[in-house]
Amino acid sequence: MRVVSVAAAVAALMVSTAAMAADKPELRIGSVVAMTGPASALGLPEKNALELLQEQIAADTSLPFTIKFITYDDGSDPTKAVNNVRKLITEDRAHVVICCTTTPTSMAILETVTQAKVPNISLALGQSVIEPVKDRHWIFKTPSTDQLQVTGLVDDMVKRGIKKVAFLGLEDSFGEGGWIALQSVAKAKGVEIVASERFSRTDTNFTPQALKVRQASPGAVYIHAIPPSSALVHQALKRVGYTGPIYHSGGSANNAFISIGKKDVDGALLGTTPVLVYTDLPDSNPLKPVISKFAALYEKRFNVAKVDIFPGQSWDAGNVAIKAAADAVKAGAKLDDVDASRAAIRDKIENGIKEFVGVGGIFNYSPTDHLGLDARSTFISVVKNDEFRLYDAK
Amino acid sequence: MTDTILFLLVDGLTNGLVYALLALSLVLVFTVTRVVNIAQGEYVMLGALTLADLLQGRMPGTLYLLVGGLALCVLLDAPRWRRDWRRALAFAGGLIVAAVAAVALTRGALALQLPVIGMMAVALVLVAPIGVLIYRFTVHPIPNATTIVFVIISVGVSMIVQGLGLLIWGANPYPVDPIASGGLMMGPVFIPYQSFAILIVALLSMGGLYLFSEFTLMGKALQASAMNRLGAQFCGIPVNMAGGLAFLLAAAFSAISGMLLAPLITANYEMGFMVGLKGFVGAAMGGLVDYPLSLVGVMIVGGLESTSAYLASAYRDVLVFSLLIPILLWRNAKQRVETR
Repeated sequence: MRVVSVAAAVAALMVSTAAMAADKPELRIGSVVAMTGPASALGLPEKNALELLQEQIAADTSLPFTIKFITYDDGSDPTKAVNNVRKLITEDRAHVVICCTTTPTSMAILETVTQAKVPNISLALGQSVIEPVKDRHWIFKTPSTDQLQVTGLVDDMVKRGIKKVAFLGLEDSFGEGGWIALQSVAKAKGVEIVASERFSRTDTNFTPQALKVRQASPGAVYIHAIPPSSALVHQALKRVGYTGPIYHSGGSANNAFISIGKKDVDGALLGTTPVLVYTDLPDSNPLKPVISKFAALYEKRFNVAKVDIFPGQSWDAGNVAIKAAADAVKAGAKLDDVDASRAAIRDKIENGIKEFVGVGGIFNYSPTDHLGLDARSTFISVVKNDEFRLYDAK
Repeated sequence: MTDTILFLLVDGLTNGLVYALLALSLVLVFTVTRVVNIAQGEYVMLGALTLADLLQGRMPGTLYLLVGGLALCVLLDAPRWRRDWRRALAFAGGLIVAAVAAVALTRGALALQLPVIGMMAVALVLVAPIGVLIYRFTVHPIPNATTIVFVIISVGVSMIVQGLGLLIWGANPYPVDPIASGGLMMGPVFIPYQSFAILIVALLSMGGLYLFSEFTLMGKALQASAMNRLGAQFCGIPVNMAGGLAFLLAAAFSAISGMLLAPLITANYEMGFMVGLKGFVGAAMGGLVDYPLSLVGVMIVGGLESTSAYLASAYRDVLVFSLLIPILLWRNAKQRVETR
């Protein structure tokens, strides 16, 4: 008898959840990230964060819809990204697309999402993904940009009274992005660029470039590269006797930078997102509780020592999508009418996401700004005793 | 200004010596087997990453390559079992013993936590046989192929080995401890001890090769096969074995160069190719056959690289590789004079 009643209770429960699911519409969030290929170091954490979001959101009954996450791999390949996005749009009928991990893949899908009129939130660094805004009507992104980080660093140079800066960068598209950003920011802030030297990841010697920079006697040096070369260039500058401040791009904000540079990179200043230094933020900063919560969840779920910047980007993208969709449904959008609700969600991302506190910063999207981040979301960190700490500009 | 020139000179020399070991390997392989080995730089990468693994107390991923290669060797030997099963068994047994010995050696070295020099020796023992394996798989089956076929094969080998490197070690750079940390202030110029280590080890290796080829029977066999393959065969010299030996030594020299270079620039999967190509430019100076001229060539490459990186950093590789054109013109003119 008891067995029967338990079984009946379970059956009743199942029926009721099924009924609940049935009377709520379904929001489909499709994402394409680089789980394999050269960008998998970025794409895998992004996929993990989406998985975590799915688990967290499943318990949330306050939303006016149920959420289905569909995630595909693009293998860091633009062609595959386009195919998978098409599949998400036509077969899976996704309301929002989160794609893609890298700038080249994100550029490749622009045409596809624009033609299909589907809102897309990119996880790529490059500014070209969302600019010019009038041609990128359907595209938003969550990661901070070179421009924003360089602005923070150049502001610090100006504060220290530095008038001349030297640029050292990788000779690929990454370095070029930094060079373009530094040129425009330095011009606007009245800082003169006195040297511009290039190197590649496979170089065996960085001293000549360091010598050239030293000869130009800059007040500060800005290095736009990733480890190992960013750390090695830093060492080379020390070796030739350069003693001024050395600034780095966010590309160096990872543990490899310190393990390669060792004592030599002590005092290096890096432009970075809040995730790297959130523990040093004052408790009054609205970002601190949000990041702390996310970091604790992520570190526990995936058993990592310290969360890095990439999972936060897809976490934010997912949350922005859910928030916009909830707003759209509240305003009367019907998720079953896929085309109309896609447009409604896009409008809500652009106009409804105000002072939205995410892991990567405080988002304020607008018709002229599809990144939505400002100076409050970029920080300078300093290497102190083999750790990244928040740099106190005072 | 003087210290700038001194810096460039010291760095140019240091890099030149690293490329010198590469050039030496290229000349050795080319003279004995007529293979222009584009893949030579990959042994630089294998050497460096193996050393990085050993120094950090991990079983090096090179063991996978080595053991896998030995297994493939046994498979390729399969047809012999029908003809002559005794020798086939002995061969397979020998290879299995070699594989077990390699694993045991690595475990022993890790347990003893040898100093850097000791680990370098272990890494050398692990990497050098991979040269022989690659010889067995690519050159040995087609000894009479034309040079261009060998060039294309070696490009393929380079891609495969680099891909395997990425698979085994990932894209992360690994820091490597130098033989001796710190350095010396010579006037205004700071020279790391590692630069001296590079000088000493490079000179010892070159001297060792010279003594080996002049004063041992095997070395003389190498020389004979280099001079005239057919003639050497008629004299009873096993030229196939000479080819394997050349690949072994060349892999060893390149691996040494990688282990010396790694503390300066960290070890990563894509470090080898460029170093290999620059060694090639230097060796082209000696027409891939002349040791002393190749050494002059790599020193010019090292010097030009460091000056051009100083004067016009965006064009430094362009300038170094453009050097090939005057070198080839000069060699061509020289050859015409000689044949006249």
